[in-house]
Amino acid sequence: MFSNTLINSVLAVVLTVIVCFIISTLLPGIERKYIHARIQQRIGPLVIAPGIMAPLKFMFKENVKVESPVPGLYKILPILCFIVVLCILVALTPQAYAIPALASLVAIVGFLKVEEICYVLMGALSKSVMSLRMPFPDLAKGGAHLNAQRSFIEDISAKRSLRMITYGSFPLYLALFAPVTAARSIFLQDIVLYQQAHGPFLFTVAGGIAAIVFFIGYMIILNEYPFSIIKAKSDVIEGPYMEYASKYRAIVYLTRGFFMFVLGCVFSVLFIGIPPNIFSLGILVNIAVALIFVFMMGIFSAFSPVFTNRQLLPTILGATLLGILAVVIGLL
Amino acid sequence: MGIKSFSRARAIHVMLVYTGGCNGCDIEIVNSILSPRFDAEQYNVFLTWNPREADVLVVTGPVTHLNRKPLEAIYEAIPNPKLVVAAGSCALMGGVYKNCYGDIPSEEIEGPVENIIPVNAKIPGCAVRPQDVLAGVVSLLPTLLDAD
Amino acid sequence: MDEKVPRSNIIETEIPMGTVHPAALEPYRVRFFVEDEIVQEAEITIGVNHRGIERIMEGLPVQKANSLTEKICGICSNSHIWNSCRTAEMGLGIEIPDRALYIRVIMGELERLHSHFLYLAHGCEVLSHETFSMRVFYLREIVMELLAMIGGNRVQYGCSVLGGVRPRCELDEAKLLRLKNDMDKIEEGLTDFAARFTADSMVMSRITGIGVLPQKQAIELAVTGPSLRATGVARDLRTTMFEYEDFDFNVITQPDGDVKSNLLMRALESFESINIIRQAISNIPEGKLVNHDWEMVDTDITESYIEVPRGTLYHSYALESGRVRHCIIRTPSMANIGAMQYACIGDQLTDAQLCIVQCDPCFTCTDRAIEVIRR
Repeated sequence: MFSNTLINSVLAVVLTVIVCFIISTLLPGIERKYIHARIQQRIGPLVIAPGIMAPLKFMFKENVKVESPVPGLYKILPILCFIVVLCILVALTPQAYAIPALASLVAIVGFLKVEEICYVLMGALSKSVMSLRMPFPDLAKGGAHLNAQRSFIEDISAKRSLRMITYGSFPLYLALFAPVTAARSIFLQDIVLYQQAHGPFLFTVAGGIAAIVFFIGYMIILNEYPFSIIKAKSDVIEGPYMEYASKYRAIVYLTRGFFMFVLGCVFSVLFIGIPPNIFSLGILVNIAVALIFVFMMGIFSAFSPVFTNRQLLPTILGATLLGILAVVIGLL
Repeated sequence: MGIKSFSRARAIHVMLVYTGGCNGCDIEIVNSILSPRFDAEQYNVFLTWNPREADVLVVTGPVTHLNRKPLEAIYEAIPNPKLVVAAGSCALMGGVYKNCYGDIPSEEIEGPVENIIPVNAKIPGCAVRPQDVLAGVVSLLPTLLDAD
Repeated sequence: MDEKVPRSNIIETEIPMGTVHPAALEPYRVRFFVEDEIVQEAEITIGVNHRGIERIMEGLPVQKANSLTEKICGICSNSHIWNSCRTAEMGLGIEIPDRALYIRVIMGELERLHSHFLYLAHGCEVLSHETFSMRVFYLREIVMELLAMIGGNRVQYGCSVLGGVRPRCELDEAKLLRLKNDMDKIEEGLTDFAARFTADSMVMSRITGIGVLPQKQAIELAVTGPSLRATGVARDLRTTMFEYEDFDFNVITQPDGDVKSNLLMRALESFESINIIRQAISNIPEGKLVNHDWEMVDTDITESYIEVPRGTLYHSYALESGRVRHCIIRTPSMANIGAMQYACIGDQLTDAQLCIVQCDPCFTCTDRAIEVIRR
């Protein structure tokens, strides 16, 4: 009897993850084709091109030697990122509520932190050809500051990710903890049950404010314009991902789409109270939420330039204050 | 058509390297990809600036002396299968700059691009037209699809 | 405005960028010396695309040399051939038909439009604002097609020849009508864009007060063209050129010398260009296109200055039995490099490329006469 339930649960989780993953691969294409290209008045790529075909193509590319002081670790990082995202999704499924250590907000925050630390390590370990390794006679006679320490552009990107860890992700975490104030529990099961009993947290005052903060945090953690300072094209080109080629780049591509979807699921669990479960119609809500978030993000990113540190600090500060406000209203 | 060629035909990442031409070709190529008028993305051609991501390297200009090593380094950084498109008459044959000093070989111009890296397709024109750039990149598709 | 001083003398690290970089349209190397992501000093290395075009021109027949000057730059190609012809014409005393002068002015202003649109689009691209960049590129496409209609090629048109313009560039009624209609289209599009651009608070917060070049410093560095006018100096060579005598236009200036001033400067100047083209269309005189009635003689070194989209362009050469001697070309970007290095100081690293772009760099123009000494 017990083993039967276990097998069923594992099966349900696996099926849910697979379905979510397949849908998530469409998200970057939807963002590119239906939002960006439409706003920019052009036709745009195939929907499957950025999310499915590009990773597939990279799978078939030759594996090159990565220029990095610790190539092994550098190559593991995207896989680690993918596993972290997978773990978040597993934690969200109702079957995982049986394991309270996993299905709690603290675990989700921990996973997100791992993801952020990965960016720092990626940036620090990538030594791309596009800046310092470019064979150019820089240190010629007469050059300025010949004794200065020289850095790769990815080092700057690593420093920025570190900065984003310290203050950039506050809005997201505050928004994650806002539902706790209503449900009075950090376990996802209690949050879901509370919302099923009292209606979605989204439609309360605190929930509405927290949802806005969550959206800002969502864009920050996905490094989408305008918050894409760690991979701003105008100086660090692609930042932490510079050296990934072939299979590793494919994983980077897949992780991005998957992460978009999983964060949408986090929202629907915490704010609407519907966990992703393949055997219930609720999964349609999850998909709808993920799509709405992608649409909104696409519109925002198409109409905004990249923010520098000068604009980021006030924006994030404002979002953080909003988040605190949401928590305070929730507590009152 | 296997899954390999199917996916390759639907996502082509192009990187542009300019090696000291007159800028006309560079702008026309960027224009052909960025401008909504030509919009290379509708043929699933994406512009990238990271050699690790690129499939097709578009080179313009006659490759001046200081540009030779960067060009080689960027070519080396692209994972196989990779293809090179030389765009514009400078990249094809050195253009007006090749015979700069008459019979004395020029120290400045290392090009044409063929002398430095293998070239798979050549797009003539001074400057190249965006239509030709798109046609050139698309004409490489069979080679790209059949590569290992 | 006070002179900018670096915040401190500490150089934490050096970030080299280039020669291939998404923010740069042409190869150059720049080394930023930063302290906590604030640029303390920048060093731009040019000469990456030195090809020695003045050396090729030396000893060529003047007609051939003129068409070669087009290959100096793919953005302001018409300016180069215009000024090169002008130099010879001034030296030989060739009278140019009025109609040819008008067509030259139309081409010059169309080129200014396409150069300024490229500047705006590239500026938006460096701001990472893809949508605005694409919208300007869409507008620019109209200008490019007009240039292709007149000159037969999208980039190098070869419009001017000694004594007038090439017969291919004759503007008949149909072409003039199309030119007129497209000017309306461009004006409408640009007005929309400018309104949209200035109303966007996110973009404005990115570009206001960034890359400030004080007026005093700009004059000291001998900055030319729109970059100088953006600091408040009303200096435009078009007011002194005989080609522009019949035209009525304003010299636009902007007060601040930052990126915002520079971008607005280009947009406002484009309206003036549209205005000039409209005047030229309505007043274009009848007559022949080329004056063949001149004789080749040896001349002294003749100098000619014109205002091109990016500033002051200088050509000078002497003629010796129909061949070019002692050719010197000085392009606007040569003077503006100092401004680029200066404008970066004190700004975020993310803005640094924007500060370079704001001075409208064209290093392919600039890299001609620099002698590369190799040991």
